[in-house]
Amino acid sequence: MSYAYLFKYIIIGDTGVGKSCLLLQFTDKRFQPVHDLTIGVEFGARMINIEGKQIKLQIWDTAGQEAFRSITRSYYRGAAGALLVYDITRRDTFNHLTTWLEDARQHSNSNMVIMLIGNKSDLESRRDVKREEGEAFAREHGLIFMETSAKTAANVEEAFINTAREIYDKIQEGVFDINNEANGIKIGPQHSPANPNMPSGNQGGSSSGGCC
Amino acid sequence: MDLFRSVLGGVGGGSGVAPGAPGGPPSSADTIERLVDRLSSSTLLEDRRDACRALKAMSRKFRVEVGVQALSALVEILAHGDGQSYDEEMLSYALDTLCNICSPDEFEEEVGRAAEREPAEGVGEQFTEIYLKQAVNVQYALDALGEFDFRIRRPAVRLLTHLLFNKPRQMQDLILASHMGVSRLMDVLVDNREVLRNDALLLLIQLTKGNANLQKIVAFENCFDKLIDILNMEGLSDGGIVVEDCLRLMLNLLRNNASNQTFFREGSFIQRITPFFDLTLEPEEIEVGWSAQKVSNMLHMLLVVRTLVSPANPSHVTTSCQRTVHQCGLLEKLCSILMAAGIPSDILTEAINAIAESIRGCAANQDFFALVQAPATPPRPALILLLMSMVNEKQPFALRCAVLYCFQCYVHKNSNRQNEIMRTLLPANQPANNEITAGQLLCGGLFSNDRLSNWFSSVALAHGLVDQESIKLELLRVQLSTAKGTEPVSMISQCCYILQQSSQIQTRLGILMLVSTWIHNCIPAVTTLLAIPEVVPFLTGQIGSNEHDDLERLGQGLCAFVLGLCILDNDNSVANNTQDDLYQLIEKRIGGEVFLDKLGEISKHESYNRALKHPQPKCVDSKDLLFDHHFCLQFKHLEHSIISFLHRKKENDPLVETTENNAALVQQFKELIREQDQRINDLTKANIYLQSELTTAKHQVDDLITSLATLKDQNSVLRAQSSHTKAAIPTSEVINTSTSRNGPSTGSQNANFAEEKRKLEHEVKIRDDIIQELEMRLMTVENDHSTSGDPKPLTNGHGSEVEAEMALLKTQLESLRVNLSQKEEDIHDLKSQRAPPPSIPIASKELEAMKLDVETLKAEQDDLLVLLADQDTQLVAYRAQLRALGQVVDEDD
Repeated sequence: MSYAYLFKYIIIGDTGVGKSCLLLQFTDKRFQPVHDLTIGVEFGARMINIEGKQIKLQIWDTAGQEAFRSITRSYYRGAAGALLVYDITRRDTFNHLTTWLEDARQHSNSNMVIMLIGNKSDLESRRDVKREEGEAFAREHGLIFMETSAKTAANVEEAFINTAREIYDKIQEGVFDINNEANGIKIGPQHSPANPNMPSGNQGGSSSGGCC
Repeated sequence: MDLFRSVLGGVGGGSGVAPGAPGGPPSSADTIERLVDRLSSSTLLEDRRDACRALKAMSRKFRVEVGVQALSALVEILAHGDGQSYDEEMLSYALDTLCNICSPDEFEEEVGRAAEREPAEGVGEQFTEIYLKQAVNVQYALDALGEFDFRIRRPAVRLLTHLLFNKPRQMQDLILASHMGVSRLMDVLVDNREVLRNDALLLLIQLTKGNANLQKIVAFENCFDKLIDILNMEGLSDGGIVVEDCLRLMLNLLRNNASNQTFFREGSFIQRITPFFDLTLEPEEIEVGWSAQKVSNMLHMLLVVRTLVSPANPSHVTTSCQRTVHQCGLLEKLCSILMAAGIPSDILTEAINAIAESIRGCAANQDFFALVQAPATPPRPALILLLMSMVNEKQPFALRCAVLYCFQCYVHKNSNRQNEIMRTLLPANQPANNEITAGQLLCGGLFSNDRLSNWFSSVALAHGLVDQESIKLELLRVQLSTAKGTEPVSMISQCCYILQQSSQIQTRLGILMLVSTWIHNCIPAVTTLLAIPEVVPFLTGQIGSNEHDDLERLGQGLCAFVLGLCILDNDNSVANNTQDDLYQLIEKRIGGEVFLDKLGEISKHESYNRALKHPQPKCVDSKDLLFDHHFCLQFKHLEHSIISFLHRKKENDPLVETTENNAALVQQFKELIREQDQRINDLTKANIYLQSELTTAKHQVDDLITSLATLKDQNSVLRAQSSHTKAAIPTSEVINTSTSRNGPSTGSQNANFAEEKRKLEHEVKIRDDIIQELEMRLMTVENDHSTSGDPKPLTNGHGSEVEAEMALLKTQLESLRVNLSQKEEDIHDLKSQRAPPPSIPIASKELEAMKLDVETLKAEQDDLLVLLADQDTQLVAYRAQLRALGQVVDEDD
């Protein structure tokens, strides 16, 4: 599976806001209404395409519970993007955003792209946080903002892809040092000559030409 | 200063301390005390540095003393505390000293001294415990890793490794909680100074042992990438121990960690480890053999593959990894190892195991393996080659186990493969060109003289039969020609023959497992088996046998299992061996208890539980190879069925003749009994209830009778009283008024009428008297008038007067008469009014009511009297009291 770039994401936010469901919707295109509490961190991955380039997203879905906070912090440094998620039906999850953002800024590299996500947009009737409030918070802190629904899949793709596009643009601008893997970005491997008869994987074979 | 120098001269001269030098054992404590004092109080950096160096030198031989006295001073240096100047050299000494103190190993220098004191065992662990009491101490060590200076980084890494080794759990938690802890460690892994990198590897191996969170963080920090880079740099399997260390760390990260396994696959690391298995062997390697390190490296690489496709992983992870292993050509490379020359048998064994798990239950990979050809002339399928090794007693035991495992995985959940293999046993499918087939090999193994071949072949054949009812049937028709000139015998009877003849327990266990798999869910197979005359007596004899050998009892247990299966799947078509016959056999001949006891032997055995845990057949000693994983699963399931069947049968023993058909009947009866039971229960309950009710009722009746008697008594008393009361009424004013008030109105009316009547009569009588008197007077007057002569003249004057008076009287009389008649009429009226007198019952009722009233009134009167009496007495008492109190009391107060 060749790719031009590999981006590492983390998903953070209070417990129960739907982080694992967002990941599952993005990687498996399905929704699981009853999900076990995430313990520590779970991993997921998917390939996307930006401007004709294959980009591999590796996503670490963290546990929202306070008990796992120190574990979660270990993942900030090596991530290129973070999805900071709150639940539009629970104001307290919105109120905690500042704490999360401080934590993220403190432990991550300064270029990490943070996407603010108001999840559960399908539950309009129980809405507790206005869309405008989310937008205002994002503007104030320089984040990208989107409202999503992991249940209906609304905006889920866009959230992950827009974050990737932002990172991609930063790479093009030369903001990211792509040779430092601690930034959560990796350039795709050259087409490995060691196994030329690899029978699968090469979807979008032309895209591999784009790597570096 | 001179004194200090002399001390240093003795102990600080380097690592080799002369035992006889001044400052030897007796004074070592003093020396160390002085050094610690100098280290913590001196203002000269030079002095402190020297002291620290001296402590480091002593810390191996006098570990306990240095540890006890210097630990806090050394930690102080790490902390750069109390504003003391920072010195890299001193920091290095301090870390070295701490390393020595906390080392889990015993130093050579120490050994001699151990005799003098208590053994130094666990010293490092104890000091680690002390060191870890302050969580921040770990952070100091991690901070020291931030230094690039080799003299600091190295001992810092080693110190952390020692700490982790001694207190893994606690250290893991501390590093997890420390900011950037793991990142710091990962930085050392990419240090270009190899020693540091290698130390970091050892540290990370310790760190990731059994801690999924740390494993994930380390993986997140690009550890797989870095490891594969190192592996490539070190020359893969040709590399030294560093390669093995890298692989051990990789195994730590992957084992039982589904998240990291997915990450490994998604990160295309399976593709990147594929070149590991490109083997271009030097001619001398083929002749002389591999170096031990190369064997070890290769074994670890194969273990990495097996970890990814292990049956113990979540099935979706294993399935996707299996797919990738096939697609990226790794499976092909593994197969080529199988066929290459000069591969050590350990590697071959592990490669077979890796192939086994890579194809297990994955149809595409199984199909791929079916097509792998061995480079022989003519080319043979790799599987045939493997099976030949399995039934060859000259091959190493582990290798033969691996082949069996591979075979099991090859047919696992793949009915095509099962059919393909088993059909080679059938006569119609024998190849024309004398090619050897899997079936022939397995048959040969089954009937060879080698106990292990028997066992392996039986288990392999059993796996070919699992859930394949049609093959079970077809296999019944297989006839074997055993010896020249004898009749061909069926395969199943040959199995039974060997069962009876073999003295090898493994052979018998293998065949019993095969037979039990064969006859399970296959009634014709049961029928065939039971039709063989020796079978039932043999099984009975085995189960009833009283041998106490551990393994023999297992054989007996398996015989019980086979007999149990014969009962379960029995269509009663074999005379004398119907379900009921066999049941009676168990109950009467063997004894139900004995049968269950023997059956229970199996699940109690250690090797059964071991086999149940993992599909791979693995034992260190070939003698321990007793049970197969799949058989154990089947046994676990069916043992219960057999036992419950026997229980059911026992419960209905006298009633039932043949069960399978009568099972429903039995069920019916059971239900009936249950119902009846229920009813009996209900009735008993009702009975108890009713009895209690009865007793209460009786009690009530008794009570009523007594109360009735009392009432009667009371009644009579009341009657007596009531007559008495009537007499007493006039005397009692209260009663009188009450009576007149409450008394019936008719009574008083009557009395009024009677009174009036009496008055009228009286009046009438008076008038009558007056009238009589007047008539008398009138007669007298008329007499006078007639006797006188001249009544006229007389009467004229006087006569007119009398005449007037007479008229007056007559009118008066007249009016009186009218009056009288009127009165009489009145009386008559009154009488007619009274005419319907109150009927007697009403009267008596009224009487009763009155009596009751009287009774009540009497009671009231009594009460009042009592009250009065009470008040009286109280009054008296009060008076007396008041008098006593000196008050003048009037009698009337």
